Amino acid sequence: MSGRVIVITSGKGGVGKTTASANIGVALATSGASVALVDMDIGLRNLDILMGLENRVVYNLVDVVEERCKLRQALVKDKKLPNLSLLPAAQTRDKSAVDADQMKALCEELKSMYDFVLVDSPAGIEQGFQNAVAGAEEAIVITTPEMSAVRDADRIIGLLEARKDEIKEYRLVLNRYRPTMVQNNDMMSVDDVLEILSVKLLGVVPEDEEIIVSTNKGEPVSGTDNVRSGLAYRNIARRIRGEEVPIMDLEVKNPSWMSRIVSFFNPTVRV
Amino acid sequence: MQLRIFEWFSPTKHDGARSTAKDRMRNMLTHDRLELPAGRLESLEEELVAVVSRYFELDKDTTQFDLQQYERRTSLIANFRLLRSKC
Repeated sequence: MSGRVIVITSGKGGVGKTTASANIGVALATSGASVALVDMDIGLRNLDILMGLENRVVYNLVDVVEERCKLRQALVKDKKLPNLSLLPAAQTRDKSAVDADQMKALCEELKSMYDFVLVDSPAGIEQGFQNAVAGAEEAIVITTPEMSAVRDADRIIGLLEARKDEIKEYRLVLNRYRPTMVQNNDMMSVDDVLEILSVKLLGVVPEDEEIIVSTNKGEPVSGTDNVRSGLAYRNIARRIRGEEVPIMDLEVKNPSWMSRIVSFFNPTVRV
Repeated sequence: MQLRIFEWFSPTKHDGARSTAKDRMRNMLTHDRLELPAGRLESLEEELVAVVSRYFELDKDTTQFDLQQYERRTSLIANFRLLRSKC
């Protein structure tokens, strides 16, 4: 087997890389593929929390690289999906604990075991990012429609372009999208961001409080029905697998007269 | 509050922060991608106008100077309206 190694990256922190990694991983695994999630945020481990696996972590990525354990021993199986595993980051080390060659070798090994290897990159453009990208052939760039996040995404895209020989394809996920604000012309739209970055779109994930709930439960939303953000991630997974799936309708219907009256008297309430 | 009353009745959307963000973004990324410091373009513009002026009389009011992005590549578009050549 030779799987696909996809790095999930953003430049800016806090735009939803780890959430996206967990959700895309769950969605791909739900559709039947075997998936390894690799947390490359060494020193700031979080992916285990989102997956609800924090109590099952025994060994980590650095233990594997430094040969304190076998790769299979460090991989933590998901609670619900037997074809989904997590390779946790070390919490007590820093980004220098692994180098690019070690990462490449690790990805090669994982690729022979899984259909998809999703690498959750740390924020920033320094060594941690460079290592996370080292073994990948594809990238997913996450951004929100905010100026600072878009600027950092542009920087990342520039760095991915410079690695054209290794990174064959990169696509954008626009996260925490707020259609109401876009319709009110208060925020950049999907098309605005795509035009500015000149990048291919992989998906749009609407802002959704359910994400916080799911993080607290340790169960990614893409495993839950009837959640908009979960559906968005499942669509993203289908597109990764090569299906043509239209971007879901994000248009917010005309507000009712009642809600217009409410927002008239209290402009801070968005309806 | 006054503004919101007009908004309420007018079918057209107000011109919010969206277009400002987009313009600032475009400008910022053009400079980021070229690693172009602020003011550098303006000094190039001055020099180019001076060079072209040695050969032509220019309608200086219509001179246009623009950095355009296409698929992450940047082009410099300069547009001089020439009145007549200088001999």
